[in-house]
Amino acid sequence: MSLQQLLLRFPRSLGALSSHRRLWWSPSLDTISTTVGSWRGQSSRSRAHWNQVVSEAEKIVGYPTSFMSLRCLLSDELSNIAMQVRKLVGTQHPLLTTARRLVHDSRNNLQLRGLVVLLISKAAGPSNVDASCQNCDMVSGIYSCQRSLAEITELIHTALLVHRGIVNLNELQSSDGPRKDMQFGNKIAILSGDFLLANACNGLALLQNTKVVELLASALMDLVQGVYHENSISAKENHITDDIGISIWKEQTFLSHGALLAKSCQAAMELAKHNAEVQDMAFQYGKHMAMSHKINSDLQPFIKEKISDSMAFNLNSAPVVLHQEFLGRDLWIKQIGEAQEKGRLDYAKLRETIKAGKGVTSAIDLCRCHGNKALEALESFPPSEARSALENIVFAVTRFS
Amino acid sequence: MASCLWPWRRCCSWRPAARSPEPTAPGRAGSSGTRSSSGARTKMPYFNLMESLTSSFPNVCRISWFHHTAPAVCCCSKTRSGEKYTDPFKLGWRDLKGLYEDIRKELLISTTELKEMSEYYFDGKGKAFRPIIVVLMARACNIHHNNSRDVQASQRSIALIAEMIHTASLVHDDVIDDASSRRGKRTVNKIWGEKKAVLAGDLILSAASIALARIGNTTVISILTQVIEDLVRGEFLQLGSKENENERFAHYLEKTFKKTASLIANSCKAVSVLGCPDPVVHEIAYQYGKNVGIAFQLIDDVLDFTSCSQQMGKPTSADLKLGLATGPVLFACQQFPEMNAMIMRRFSLPGDVDRARQYVLQSDGVQQTTYLAQRYCHEAIREISKLRPSPERDALIQLSEIVLTRDK
Repeated sequence: MSLQQLLLRFPRSLGALSSHRRLWWSPSLDTISTTVGSWRGQSSRSRAHWNQVVSEAEKIVGYPTSFMSLRCLLSDELSNIAMQVRKLVGTQHPLLTTARRLVHDSRNNLQLRGLVVLLISKAAGPSNVDASCQNCDMVSGIYSCQRSLAEITELIHTALLVHRGIVNLNELQSSDGPRKDMQFGNKIAILSGDFLLANACNGLALLQNTKVVELLASALMDLVQGVYHENSISAKENHITDDIGISIWKEQTFLSHGALLAKSCQAAMELAKHNAEVQDMAFQYGKHMAMSHKINSDLQPFIKEKISDSMAFNLNSAPVVLHQEFLGRDLWIKQIGEAQEKGRLDYAKLRETIKAGKGVTSAIDLCRCHGNKALEALESFPPSEARSALENIVFAVTRFS
Repeated sequence: MASCLWPWRRCCSWRPAARSPEPTAPGRAGSSGTRSSSGARTKMPYFNLMESLTSSFPNVCRISWFHHTAPAVCCCSKTRSGEKYTDPFKLGWRDLKGLYEDIRKELLISTTELKEMSEYYFDGKGKAFRPIIVVLMARACNIHHNNSRDVQASQRSIALIAEMIHTASLVHDDVIDDASSRRGKRTVNKIWGEKKAVLAGDLILSAASIALARIGNTTVISILTQVIEDLVRGEFLQLGSKENENERFAHYLEKTFKKTASLIANSCKAVSVLGCPDPVVHEIAYQYGKNVGIAFQLIDDVLDFTSCSQQMGKPTSADLKLGLATGPVLFACQQFPEMNAMIMRRFSLPGDVDRARQYVLQSDGVQQTTYLAQRYCHEAIREISKLRPSPERDALIQLSEIVLTRDK
């Protein structure tokens, strides 16, 4: 990942880099949210299991999934960004947090989307249609255009991660430090996000396939709308979330977490000239895998063995939304009120209340339901080690023990 | 009169031994845009630029000299065609009816607020300068190619896409610059906050990309993708400033090309590709758009000093306040070297902005920049005149003159 590579050049300014980055990776580390802490330190057993699944999958796609384009790395703009990001050190701007996390604890997590695109490309193989594809050089059973697509997917995802870390200047608190710093941070965040998007557009144009461009452009549109929903939800101050049922939650989560992967998987099939049916199965796998991955990460605060009690969790996560739906709106508002203390939400107390209800178990069911749909979609692909790796990813995110 | 001519006179004495074409000189850039030139190669790049211009097109020089003495009179094109002009904007609008409604249809968004933000600038109150050029160019190319009197649907889509890409970049620029008004209304970031404004910009860009993909032409996709890249690179160029006075001007012109002209040049090229298979025509369309685009921005930079904010719909001296040294400042710095220090500290000390403004108004920086813009316009006219005559071609000629004389 280009931005990461750049940030790696300045380890000292961005905090110590651990050599055991991979150990930090767990399926629960999905979103970088500015208001809700991410859930690290899943039980070491399941973390080890997950790492094993991924490192095996990486072997299958030929070489480690390092999605950095040389062109990107060598550009003047990138060294420019690096210089500017450095100036932000010492300020409170969230771009620093995003940058630190990109380097620090989610190196592989960021690349999960790319890895899945590569695996499904390999699982599908070449199509029977004798396509006079101009990018027909294949390495380890994957076309080079599919490798580019995997990189583009990562670029789009990272661009939006960076753009979601913009701060509203008129809502600054005195603890945020000088307004000037925040303004500068915004500027750099916009520019670096735009830079990543421009690179994605450029890569898409080089694929010379208008359907793929349309798919990925619509994935970007979905992602922007999804991020917009997430932002407006986390902006709520009184802790009362919108009254949405699980079906609306699913729609919004598809936009923010599923659409990019689903449409990239479909586009990978289109690049190999597979028919509409295969494309749809790839879409379904991407969608349902992403959904179960997200629900898994939402569940972590409620099922982890060791968790610091006061740790905040997302009130718009699957278990909470389901809990609310079982309970009814009025009782839920009452429960939130009871968990408030001096205007602050006592998360430990609320967590226990939720765990006593049916939200957690039905979220686990929902996670497995999406996992099964992902596995069903895979059945249409011929058995192969790539397909097994895709299955193992689903098993890893639906395992709760 | 003497002061009007001094850069031209000076360039004769500054004539470099070997003339190397400056990448941003009119008529000399390759169609793939420009790359920054090394400082060593171009000594006094803009004088060099003038020099290469004047010696290449002596008649252009003569016309522009005349033009410069009477800038309000658009006389040169009348000698080219005896036709009576209609307003180019009126002519262009015939193909653009429902432009903003159609753009809003591209923004398929379910969330009310997000939709409202994305549509905010598509209210029909903009000049639609880019779409007008695009459809006029489309017709001019179609007539040139096979006397076709129609604009293809795909060419009209390019007009929409150009306006959308432009608007997306405005929304992001306003957040970057912390701007509070544009086109006489409050900016998106001031109404909805920076967090949402950035997403609105991304959303407009994604809608433009979808529309672009639906045209179904990979060449056109590549051409317009170049614009997106140039816009970002231009913004990066704006972040840095060059210490070397001579590099500064090349840097400024390159930034101007990337931030403004690339969009016009490449959308002109895209409609020509859709309308006509001849690469010579594509290059004419590109060069016209590039030169008009640079002239447009140079005049914009002049208006930042000469116009009042009510006319512009945005505050003036805005560039200085952002720490940017545009054409008029760079020319003024020739006469008042004490401005160098101010440029280097990006007008950050109290009083810098006012002092710089005074220096610019005392110098002939405004005239020099206008003069340079005229050069680019004449080059644009020279390019477009290679096409077969048509009302649209003549409207494009007239449009390049309107660019020079506009006051807002």
